[in-house]
Amino acid sequence: MIDSSGAQVVLASSSDENHPPENITDGNSKTFWMSTGMFPQEFIIRYPETTNITAVTVDSYNIKHLKIEKNTSPNATQFEPVTQEEFERTEGHLQSNAISLNGSRATHLRFIITAGYDHFVSVHRVNVKT
Amino acid sequence: MTTGVELLMKCVNIPETNDSVELYILDSAGKETLVEGCEKMWGEPSLLCLVFDLTNEQSLANCTYWMERVRAHCKGLHVPGVLVGNKSDLSIRREVQASVAKEWAQSQGLEYHETSAKEMDNCDAPLLSLAQAFYSFYQERREAIQNLSP
Repeated sequence: MIDSSGAQVVLASSSDENHPPENITDGNSKTFWMSTGMFPQEFIIRYPETTNITAVTVDSYNIKHLKIEKNTSPNATQFEPVTQEEFERTEGHLQSNAISLNGSRATHLRFIITAGYDHFVSVHRVNVKT
Repeated sequence: MTTGVELLMKCVNIPETNDSVELYILDSAGKETLVEGCEKMWGEPSLLCLVFDLTNEQSLANCTYWMERVRAHCKGLHVPGVLVGNKSDLSIRREVQASVAKEWAQSQGLEYHETSAKEMDNCDAPLLSLAQAFYSFYQERREAIQNLSP
């Protein structure tokens, strides 16, 4: 299991300086990035090296539908779809979902939240398994 | 008169903060025949601004129908809203009393405002009210998420 050190969020569709995108990859599920209204919302993570990713774990709140895309380019452009998931709603505690990526090679992973259970969603941690 | 749906953007500063709310406004036609086409564009609204004509009693009565249509899009989520009585400049032709409109607004959980778009009177108030409601709502959810257990 690789932790997310070296992983960097290079784009996020919402920004509240109190809950910046860095909170997604700091390995701490108490800190979080929060969306600020409307969907879709997205964020893109860049990994320091192109890696074979078998699964990704997302700790979040209020996410209903998530699409994951990837690329192997040094730039955060032109992605291909990998998978999409419907998350179960949770009350009073975080959602934690492990999503299989079938050994996709990726430099960037793009996470698109197309629907939420409320007007705002939060992402607390994203870990990858290689 | 609006025909179809127009997308407008308005940025509203929240007083006493450094923050602002960007409102993406879908201005939808009120004409019956155009309603279905407009609804397809609504998606899942975050806020509601319902406008009626103070010189036309039927216009307020129709608001009940509009509330039902919007509620169907909200999927049980709480959506803050305002009721706006427009054409307050036409005082001689007024058919709807403020107290009546206000009472109905309160029964629907909406805040009531009167405006005159023609005289540009009080037009900022409803949008400021919506922006403040959304801002408070965001702060509330933010705090709730901070208190979640992992």
